[in-house]
Amino acid sequence: MNRCPDRDQWVLYAAGEVSARRRRALAAHLETCPTCRTECRAVERGLEALTALPAAPAVRPEAIEMLRRRLSVAAAHRVSRPSVVGRVYRYRWVAAAAVLIAAALTYTLFPASDVTQPAWRDESYVVDEITEISAELEMLELNTFAATWDSGNGSGGAVPEAIKGQGRLPLGRLADEVGVQG
Amino acid sequence: MTGQTGDSEDVERLLVAFSPRVYGLLLRMVGRSDVAEDLMQETLLRAFRSLGTYRSEGKFRAWIFRIAVNLARDWIRRRPREPATGLDDDAAAAPAQAVLARDVPPEADALGRERRRDVEQALARLPDADREVLLMRYYGDLTFKAIARATGEPLGTVLARAHRALRKLGDLIPEESHEPLP
Repeated sequence: MNRCPDRDQWVLYAAGEVSARRRRALAAHLETCPTCRTECRAVERGLEALTALPAAPAVRPEAIEMLRRRLSVAAAHRVSRPSVVGRVYRYRWVAAAAVLIAAALTYTLFPASDVTQPAWRDESYVVDEITEISAELEMLELNTFAATWDSGNGSGGAVPEAIKGQGRLPLGRLADEVGVQG
Repeated sequence: MTGQTGDSEDVERLLVAFSPRVYGLLLRMVGRSDVAEDLMQETLLRAFRSLGTYRSEGKFRAWIFRIAVNLARDWIRRRPREPATGLDDDAAAAPAQAVLARDVPPEADALGRERRRDVEQALARLPDADREVLLMRYYGDLTFKAIARATGEPLGTVLARAHRALRKLGDLIPEESHEPLP
């Protein structure tokens, strides 16, 4: 190994977290590289310094006792607590009664006879609308034809009586609006 | 049901066995023994309650220490703005000194006590993220790869933090007193 390894590698090396093969290679490099040797020794000293701390410091017995008690309570709660299905199953009759009451209330408050259909669902209403629209279109066509005739583009400038004022215009409300005499 | 109770007791025993190391990590993270005790209980209680979410492919120990680190981070974020982790601060030093007196065996020599104090102070001065890596390594006895998995950070980031932190701790140990690795 000629090139110096990344300095983070010395952390793994000092902590003993490299494979045997890698360890041999790194050790061989240390033999020839004073810079890496210094680096590695510094990391090793850091790990050594950590050992000055107690690995398992004493915890107050009261704190341990409290922990045991809390764990026991949690364990008892877990054992005694039924599953979600179990909890729902316990109230199955209440749930069935609630559904029945809700259905009865709905039927009472909103009886079927009160339901009215909107106007567009009525067939006669639709037929009337179509008739009215057809009449309007027809009237527009006749007026356009009459105007063309009057302007001299038609035959002799006179509108035939069969068309003028007669036509097939309906005699109802629409005819009155456009001033057509029946 | 008996089996469940028996399992719970086993898990309780296992979790209680973890308590000193979890407490050690938390104490060095939050700097207060009373808070560390509370967080230790909370960590192990949460682990117990959420055993169902524990994925068996990970290390159980790493999972517990990850809970502890997250709780400590939350506490540090929410704490009143006072330097709670530094032993050089009088307010923070009082509980830590009490821990020091309790944890160190009477036969520990003055040099050991002094070194431990130096390491505590050096740790307290480290950035939180750097300190966490060392504490998880030391108290959780986790490899750096396991730490990377537990924290969800890239291994390179974890190693860079460890390297930086170990170099600073390494300065506390005189070079001549250090026995290099074979």
